[in-house]
Amino acid sequence: MNKINKVKKFYSTSNKIRTNIIDMLFKAQSGHSGPSLSIVEILNYLFFEKRIYKNFNDRDHFVLSKGHAVPGLYSVLFNLNLIKKKDLLSFRNIGTKLQGHPDRTKLKYIELGTGALGQGLSVSIGFALANLMLKNKKKSFCLVGDGEIQEGQIWEAAMYAGSHNLNNLCVILDNNKMQNETYTNKTLDVMPLKEKWEAFNWKVIEINGHSFSQIDRAFNKFYSENKKPTIIIANTVKGKGISFMENSALWHSKILDEKSYLIAKKELND
Amino acid sequence: MIKVSEKKALRNVFGDHLVYLGKKNNKICVVSCDLKSATKTSNFFEAFPKRSFEVGIAEANGLGIATGLALKGFIPIISSFGAFITGKFLEIRTSISYNNAPVKIIGTHGGLIGKDGATQSGTQDLSLMMSLPNFEVFQPCSPIETIQILNHVVKSNKPSYVRICRNNVGEVYNQNYKFIPGKPQELIKSKTNTIISSGPLIFNSLDAIKYLSQKKIEVGLININSIKPFNFNALEKILKTKKNILVVEDHVSHGGISSLVYETIAKSKLNNYNIKSLNLDDKFSESGDPSDLEKANGFDAKNIAKIFYEKFNSTK
Repeated sequence: MNKINKVKKFYSTSNKIRTNIIDMLFKAQSGHSGPSLSIVEILNYLFFEKRIYKNFNDRDHFVLSKGHAVPGLYSVLFNLNLIKKKDLLSFRNIGTKLQGHPDRTKLKYIELGTGALGQGLSVSIGFALANLMLKNKKKSFCLVGDGEIQEGQIWEAAMYAGSHNLNNLCVILDNNKMQNETYTNKTLDVMPLKEKWEAFNWKVIEINGHSFSQIDRAFNKFYSENKKPTIIIANTVKGKGISFMENSALWHSKILDEKSYLIAKKELND
Repeated sequence: MIKVSEKKALRNVFGDHLVYLGKKNNKICVVSCDLKSATKTSNFFEAFPKRSFEVGIAEANGLGIATGLALKGFIPIISSFGAFITGKFLEIRTSISYNNAPVKIIGTHGGLIGKDGATQSGTQDLSLMMSLPNFEVFQPCSPIETIQILNHVVKSNKPSYVRICRNNVGEVYNQNYKFIPGKPQELIKSKTNTIISSGPLIFNSLDAIKYLSQKKIEVGLININSIKPFNFNALEKILKTKKNILVVEDHVSHGGISSLVYETIAKSKLNNYNIKSLNLDDKFSESGDPSDLEKANGFDAKNIAKIFYEKFNSTK
């Protein structure tokens, strides 16, 4: 596939992932739209470009530490044909495998049940250390939110990984600049991000988190890094892809009414 | 009467046995939170440096790292003071319990520990840990029981919390003893009177029983070594003939051993009980010599005997 077609296909996959996110949230009449939409290109890259679940039993580990964005991950699993449409549309219903926040005991493709923020990075370090003991080349990926890094445990983990040179560990920070109630810098400012993580001895790469070429370049840098853990600060737009959701704190977890749903679908199909 | 042999600190027994287990099973690894010497995992660190992880004074991160190791098929043992490690309840609840990750948490310094005082004393740990789905919760009273419980814990595919107290204790079991999760152990059988305890207070209770026997009052002893799972039916069977029950525990009154005993009675068809519970009520511990602390809280053998005598003598 030539490069132009490859990029085209990438964005068309993103569109499918977004469409299924919207379908699930509308059907469930609950869930977090904004934070799920901002991570779509990152997930798309890891699961469709790097194909980290190609051989599930011998996989790279991916922890979605910001568990409330799990509709994004469920949509990816659906587009990988790992879960069925009826399961996708059972999201948040009683008895479903697709819990409101991820549950690995109900769905095997979930690496870690999360939901209380700030915990995924420590577990990803555990995966990275285990991979070193097992002497394999597998990677450990962890996706965190910018609001999430207000949790103290993130910095305990950052200190540990930085001081132990865990170069098989990669954090992606979904820097959508908003959290539950409002803008991150109005709640508790997490800036400056680059300087903070560099001070903790991490390799820091800052990119536009919706651009295929920038995501591709960032991950390739991680794969060739031989000393430090890597953090990719992905500058993203909360609610990306649906005009009225973009950069709106309201759409962190607002219920999708029929009118908004139809507009969203139309925007994604155009 | 049970003979009590040479005294040992259970955390030393834990530390030594951990090295033995580490030799037998290369999946066992240890996470320390800057308390290797106090929790006696330093020998494991020396013997198996590649399977030993020092996370510093960062228990939450340590618990998360242990979770990752467990989900990759390793058997991580994380040790700290019980008061500190169970204080990271949200991390234990989400990363370990919710994910059913078989992390083995060792909480040392349970009960009234001594001069370091209340902040370092594990006196709410059982209550917290027994509320968590998937978890097993144990408390050994003696060296042989510590070894048996550790053997079970590393084989179990569930997460567990093991409470280890600071006291030096003797032995109530022989080498043939087999620990059975869930099953209360009737160490001294009796008709109508019994003391129920757990951990090193078993030994104070034993001494109290000796005092009472001098007054011609025969009292039995039940060891609750498995807080979760807990076999309510097994305790009900033991309690069928009992009329006078004293529960002794170095823990707050909510959610400890006495709660289990009251629950057993409430769930069963047993009635006509004279029951009293000796615990920390709704208080923290404090600083002091361990023996002074025992006396101040009424856990010394003489006081246990006195309470039993005063409460139940009229109904013996």
